[in-house]
Amino acid sequence: MALKRDIYRALEDVVGPENISEDSVILDSYAWRSGLLAGTEKFVPRFEAITLPKDTAEVQAIVRLCNRFGIQFKASSTGWSYCDPSGPGIIKLDLRRMDRILEINEKSMYAVVEPYVIATQLQAELMKRGLNCNVNGAGGNCSAMPIVGHAGLGPLSESGSYGERNQLALEWVTPDGEIVRLGSLGSLNKWFCGDGPGPSLRGIVRGNTVPLGGLGVFTKAAQKVYHWPGPPLFPIEGVSPDFISSEIPPGFMLGNFYVTSTENMIKAIRKIGESEIGFELMIMNFASIDESLLRSDAEIADEFEQMSRTAQAPTFMLIIAANSPNDFEYKKKVLQLIMEETGGKMLPMAEDPKFAGSFIWSFIRCTGANSGCFRATGAFGGMVPGTDILDVMVNYVQRAAKTMEEFIRKDMLLADGMISFIQMIEHGHQAHAELLTRYFPNDPKQARGGAEFNMEANKIAVSGRFGVPHHVWSDSVHDLYGPHTSHYTKWLRSIKKTFDPNAASEATNYITADE
Amino acid sequence: MALEDYRSDMEMCSRCSICKFVPLERLKGYQHANVCPSISRYKFHAYSGGGRMGFGVAMLEKRLDYADKLLEVIYNCQMCGACDISCKTAMDMEVLEAINEMRIKCVKEGHTIPALDGVINSLRKQGTMVPGVKAGRGKWVEGLEVKDFTRQKTKVIYHAGCRTSYDRDMWGIARTTAALLQKAGIDFGIGGENESCCGGRAYQMGYKEDFLRQAKRNMALFQKSGAEILVTGCADGYHAFKTLYDKYGVKNGLEVLHTTEYLDRLIKEGRLKPTRKVAMRVTYHDPCHLGRLGEPYLHWPQEQVPVKTNILAPKELRRGTYGIYEPPRDVIRSIPGLKFVEMDRIKEYTWCCGSGGGVNDSNPGFARWTAEERINEAESTGAEAIVTACPWCEKTFKDAIKENGSKIKIYDVVELLAKAV
Repeated sequence: MALKRDIYRALEDVVGPENISEDSVILDSYAWRSGLLAGTEKFVPRFEAITLPKDTAEVQAIVRLCNRFGIQFKASSTGWSYCDPSGPGIIKLDLRRMDRILEINEKSMYAVVEPYVIATQLQAELMKRGLNCNVNGAGGNCSAMPIVGHAGLGPLSESGSYGERNQLALEWVTPDGEIVRLGSLGSLNKWFCGDGPGPSLRGIVRGNTVPLGGLGVFTKAAQKVYHWPGPPLFPIEGVSPDFISSEIPPGFMLGNFYVTSTENMIKAIRKIGESEIGFELMIMNFASIDESLLRSDAEIADEFEQMSRTAQAPTFMLIIAANSPNDFEYKKKVLQLIMEETGGKMLPMAEDPKFAGSFIWSFIRCTGANSGCFRATGAFGGMVPGTDILDVMVNYVQRAAKTMEEFIRKDMLLADGMISFIQMIEHGHQAHAELLTRYFPNDPKQARGGAEFNMEANKIAVSGRFGVPHHVWSDSVHDLYGPHTSHYTKWLRSIKKTFDPNAASEATNYITADE
Repeated sequence: MALEDYRSDMEMCSRCSICKFVPLERLKGYQHANVCPSISRYKFHAYSGGGRMGFGVAMLEKRLDYADKLLEVIYNCQMCGACDISCKTAMDMEVLEAINEMRIKCVKEGHTIPALDGVINSLRKQGTMVPGVKAGRGKWVEGLEVKDFTRQKTKVIYHAGCRTSYDRDMWGIARTTAALLQKAGIDFGIGGENESCCGGRAYQMGYKEDFLRQAKRNMALFQKSGAEILVTGCADGYHAFKTLYDKYGVKNGLEVLHTTEYLDRLIKEGRLKPTRKVAMRVTYHDPCHLGRLGEPYLHWPQEQVPVKTNILAPKELRRGTYGIYEPPRDVIRSIPGLKFVEMDRIKEYTWCCGSGGGVNDSNPGFARWTAEERINEAESTGAEAIVTACPWCEKTFKDAIKENGSKIKIYDVVELLAKAV
């Protein structure tokens, strides 16, 4: 179904002829499935047209046209996942041209960006100024804007929190085409606060998961940034993909630990959190600890086997980044005491400056997610519970893993060693867990396995009272959780209906107003 | 190989967009984050490596016909390989090979664009990608005493290349190279009027059969001469002779060196001594075909084998690791008085000059836009000159400078070295 000519021309008048297309080749490039929970269907439905707005005014004009002409729209930044159309009658706003860093306020420690600034760009600029930002665990290639880059949970969350908490003032083009400026932006034209003075709609615009393209378009946002004690340019050398650190910068340390029991690991991590000595802290399988530094899946497989022999116990990774030599000594001493108390041991590879330096950089920049998740087959799924305390995360992963074993036994998922991780948030305040699945999406049996296990994992989250994950999207999954969690879906639908009276903002990945 | 052979590679694309940026580990700031000229200029996802993977599958699934727009997207790409390298920092999949096969498929099925057909006609009739008169190919050497390897035995062949031979402004590079080789006491010869195009650019434009014809013709000539080493100052030629000829099994053990590799070797052996000061602040532009695309071809038995975790281990991939990066830099560093500064995008994640893949013929405006981006980056270093190692890069930069009025100078490494020796 092509757009009617008057609609196309109206859109073209907004963005100019160079910045709109309905050519098949352009549409099909956006219709290629993303790898997240990919199935045997290789292509999603085509958008009717792709637009490339350059600023908020053009976004608003497009949204208003959609409301006027009764068509739907969906916006995305780098366009990795959650941004596909569900059927005909939908146009895309590719926000690629909105790629400016608008402000870095060193004194008040915030940064303002447009949606197509990637996290690595912002992080690199911040580090020149002694600052750092949280980076989405999916990678530094994702948008730097917290509300655009999904939940924003990642390895840096131990000291750098996550999207919901880092979000400050925000500019939002609502589904019906109003421009709303939230927080201090709404009253003082300043970016420093998300909740006032001025209107605070933080809960409205975010929900639990962020709207994933289903509630208008977020065009500019400020976020809290953090102190960076490291160098302006990390000392990385070598040619791709063998990036090697020439040294570990002063005050930095990597520790890869294994602990005698799960109970002791939880205890150690809790104490590390309480003492606030960690810059990054993750429970990880050793095989995935350095997979971002290895060249291929074959190397990872060998490494996995070797590591499994080395450490027959729960393992976690800690990065320390100290502000001074005294601070460094203090943090190391605290760590030593915790390890003595919990029987933890550090793997020798963490002491090799080249390995440790490269690893530290890889995890600060978040470069390993793609290789870790997609390199095997191009498809993966991440099974998650609601963000909660560490014990709950461990419990969920253990339960979900048992079910996953059955799928692997039936050859419905790949026997990849059952990679999981738990990222600590705000010095142990909360944690985020994922159990990764990998499978061949073109194999109908495995594609079915990927989808079925995803639903099984959701059911485990519901039956085990593990909370509502950040990975909930679509009516069907929301409706799985809603009845068990205070019927939050009624609120979400009410929000959707109120702010999007014409259902213009396509909401497949969010929630529709339909009960 | 055919596009179908890269189906599984293309289907691996998860749409992460890493192909659009320099490797994240090496990104140094907000500026110069982009690595792909095509997506940077034309913005729609289809113009990126990932977008090309998506519509490549669509081509195989027959979802797309050969509309003008399809050809326009396919040919607005310099085939520089930057997307391929960035992708392979994370993934095990061939990007550039698949993109090249799309072009080969287009040509094979009779869907070409007129501007490139004109260039190929020149190749077929005159043996050059630069429309000119075949008889003028050896004119650059007039007045020099240089052997003709087609008639006299030499150990080394110097292949000047199409761009250098047919552009009077480039003759100086070839003449200087010849003078340096003579100064170092190298017994070398040239093809002169018998020299012919390497065919590499034709291959990257999709004209595989024309490339193979050139490759076989050239190798017959080289082998008859008995020479052991082929030296060229053209990065396109270097990539073709060293990598593509090997890929198609016609290289037959010929050692291929770029002039910068050979001169670097001669300097380190003490056969050339740069002693005169050249007071200048310069930066170096890595030609794509010498750098990331200049690494050896890796032959692969074309089967994936299961490894322990049940994941298929693919072939070892060319990831740009073994491209030619240091020899030209070492030559530059050997010149007394030169102040050498690096740009943000270098080596395997360099930004293309704009000329590659036929873009200089099919869309000169896009070539110029791409070159201007690089010139701006060079200017930001405070350099007075861009030094490069490819006549195509040099020509594209010079054309862009004529248009935008930049004061920056462009040199080949050879020209600077000659000032010091």
